[in-house]
Amino acid sequence: MSIPTAKLKKPTLKVTPSSRAMNISTSGILRLNRSATYARSINASVSRKSFCLAADSKILEKSSVQTPKHTIQVLDENGKDVTPRPVYQPDPAAVQSKHSKIFASDTSGGTMSDFYSTTYQTTTNASFAGAFTRSLFGSGSVSIGSQSIMESMSEEIEDPSSKRDNSISLSDVQVKREEVKELIQEEMLDDMVDLYLVESDTLCLLDMPAISVSVDSMEAESVKERNSRYTELCKNRTGNDKYMGRSMQTFNGASKTKEVQSEAITMADAATIANNWDMYDSFCSAGQGEVDLSTDTDKASIAEMIHQNHGPTRTMERTMSVISSSTIVSSSSSRMEMEPFVVPSESKPDPELILQSEEFQQHLFVMERIILENIYQPKLAAYRQLPTLEDPDSMPKAVPMVVSRREESSLDEEGPPTPALERLWSFSCELTTGRNVSSMAWNKRNPDLLAVGYGQFAFKDQKPGLVCCWSLKNPSWPERIFTCQSGVTALDFSASSASMLAVGMHDGTIATYNVQSREKTPVIDSSDCVHKHTSPVWQVRWINHERALSGEDKGEALISVSADGRISKWFLRKGLDCIDLMKLKRTRNDRFKRQVGEKERKSEALISRQAPGLCFDFHPTDSNIYLAGTEEGHIHKCSCSYNEQFLETYQAHKGPLYRITWSPFCSDVFLSCSSDWTIQLWRQDLFTPVLGFMSTQRAVYDVMWSPKWATVFGAVNEGRMEIWDLGASILDPTIVNPASPGVKLTSLLFATETDCVLVGDSDGQVSVYQLKNFTAGEGTQVGTLEDIIGSTLASQL
Amino acid sequence: MAEVEETLKRIQTHEGVIGTIVVNAEGIPIRTTLDNSTTVQYAGLLHQLTMKARSTVRDIDPQNDLTFLRIRSKKHEIMVAPDKEYMLIVIQNPSE
Repeated sequence: MSIPTAKLKKPTLKVTPSSRAMNISTSGILRLNRSATYARSINASVSRKSFCLAADSKILEKSSVQTPKHTIQVLDENGKDVTPRPVYQPDPAAVQSKHSKIFASDTSGGTMSDFYSTTYQTTTNASFAGAFTRSLFGSGSVSIGSQSIMESMSEEIEDPSSKRDNSISLSDVQVKREEVKELIQEEMLDDMVDLYLVESDTLCLLDMPAISVSVDSMEAESVKERNSRYTELCKNRTGNDKYMGRSMQTFNGASKTKEVQSEAITMADAATIANNWDMYDSFCSAGQGEVDLSTDTDKASIAEMIHQNHGPTRTMERTMSVISSSTIVSSSSSRMEMEPFVVPSESKPDPELILQSEEFQQHLFVMERIILENIYQPKLAAYRQLPTLEDPDSMPKAVPMVVSRREESSLDEEGPPTPALERLWSFSCELTTGRNVSSMAWNKRNPDLLAVGYGQFAFKDQKPGLVCCWSLKNPSWPERIFTCQSGVTALDFSASSASMLAVGMHDGTIATYNVQSREKTPVIDSSDCVHKHTSPVWQVRWINHERALSGEDKGEALISVSADGRISKWFLRKGLDCIDLMKLKRTRNDRFKRQVGEKERKSEALISRQAPGLCFDFHPTDSNIYLAGTEEGHIHKCSCSYNEQFLETYQAHKGPLYRITWSPFCSDVFLSCSSDWTIQLWRQDLFTPVLGFMSTQRAVYDVMWSPKWATVFGAVNEGRMEIWDLGASILDPTIVNPASPGVKLTSLLFATETDCVLVGDSDGQVSVYQLKNFTAGEGTQVGTLEDIIGSTLASQL
Repeated sequence: MAEVEETLKRIQTHEGVIGTIVVNAEGIPIRTTLDNSTTVQYAGLLHQLTMKARSTVRDIDPQNDLTFLRIRSKKHEIMVAPDKEYMLIVIQNPSE
């Protein structure tokens, strides 16, 4: 059925306000009312053609705006009050005002167009109002159209359903109300009640009006008519007085200036100079991931430190440095980490800790060396054959002396100036005074390191021995001091492991020390060895054997000779152990006996079969052959291969041999010195010495070939030190240096590379002398030596 | 510890050494053989100079660092061994 017709049948309900009798205007003018929403909605739902009808069927016209809702009554055709009771009673005043506002614009009388506009407005408003009026209940039955409107217009789908519910519930409420009324009159229960069943209105649940109408339908004409009327209207609109153009303008909100004032931000200026190294330090410390407080700047205060870290980040931003942005982040984070670490650095390190620290010791060491360098600079420079720097501020008194001396010396000779020894300095300290220097040895790797052994030669007044390692850079205090239980009589540095020092002692013990470490104890000691020496060890030597002997490994071996007549070779097995290379047997003086022709003397009572060995020397090129000197005065040429017999025996000396040395230049020439005041020069194939040197009637303790010239050697006897140059003279020493009175000179050592000689004496001093104006000639003078030997031999024949 | 003391004593007794000063990072003297005012003066002045010298060395090459500083004047030579925790100063008259 057509909806509009349904609507036509509708006008059964009359809505009358109960409180005030107001005229219900059923005209097209819509009065503002709460429930007028429904009316309007209905009107809107009605299609255009049924517009007028809708206007008629505006049952829901409410009279006035101000009527309170509960006063409205809806009466059906029977006059029954079917006013829907509101389920919810809100604050009337508040609701009213809202509604009045919303529908304020709706009041407009007038034409259809206005009505249209209003209807549309109202529909939109209805949708709004729907929200508001959800809580309110207008006339329930009228909600049919409203429902449809809601559905079509509003976005809230709930509304129609709620309205539907409302209507249903309203009727329920209504029924309840009536029931309440009835209950009051209980007596009336027995009465006959007439119930009239009436067909209720058709509820329109969904009304979707058609927009277009078929041409054949009844309303076609009216629709067409309306359409044409509308087009005419539109045409007439322009320029017509009836039509007014209205424009709208949105209001701009009134602007209001608002001012806010914050607290002044305190600024602090921080400045620093970021140096190259500052950035480098931060970079390194950031890269390490932990705060490196050991930046090289002195931290006088915390602020300074923080500023230093501020600085790099700033400069990093400014300069195009290699440091990446990640470093900036990390350095700033490290800065954050730095804060807690700042505090401990503030606490001053204990002064005692400073004094005990390793760095302080190192600094002291360096400082001492530098101080001494200042003192000894001229001497050391002379030692190293550097030109001596004249101190420009030195006292002028020294200068004229030097000048005068030079003048004198130049006046004296027309020829070359006389060779002389200049005393540079001496190694001595309070520890060594009073001790007898027994042996000296240069370090094989560091030519500035000298080991000196202190020990008495004589059997009496033995005291604990001392080994001091002196450095050239510190003549006043030794670098290492080793105390030994008995006097030191022999020393040698190893060549393969340059820090090993072998020490032979007066009680026969052999010990090796490691001079690199700071330990005072020897690395190994021979005191536990079964075959140790029982008498003083007079010489120790590290010998490098090229060929393996008797299955032993090649390498360096320690050879020692001692007064118990054995030459032993030491090696490490399960401890220091030795094998005897040779037992020095006493040899009777057969030759002399034969020569003299006496009858055989009674064999002397021998204390021991062995002859005490005092010195030995291995051949410089053939490490199998060595010479050994005994207390008897014999020189035995031995070989490592035979340990029973000597190869040769050289007999010339009448007293104990103190030193034998092969010439470093002529491989078959050797020197020997003994206590019989003589030095003998031998050639290994001759059994008599080629040359003999005697200068004083003192025992010669030490002799050494010069490492520079084949014809030069130095000798030391009790009273003086002599340098012999065979090229110059074979009868007298070239340079003689007497010892200080009361002091005996005991050992001699040439310094390689330089023209210096070291002399040790019985007072514990090792004096360094420089050979001045001394030269044996160009080259090594090997030829000269051989010439001398040759000529001597020739003259002997 | 004894070795340190010995070495310090030896340094002080070397020929030409006028004074030996050990100050910590704040400039407070730990060991000195001179009077207090001279010590403080030396420490303060040399501290600044050392920092400048170190800064110079490291500016040229940040991986480098200052190890020793010697100032030779007409009358004596001042030798400074700087460290981050202390400073060792020795004044010596080298030519006598």
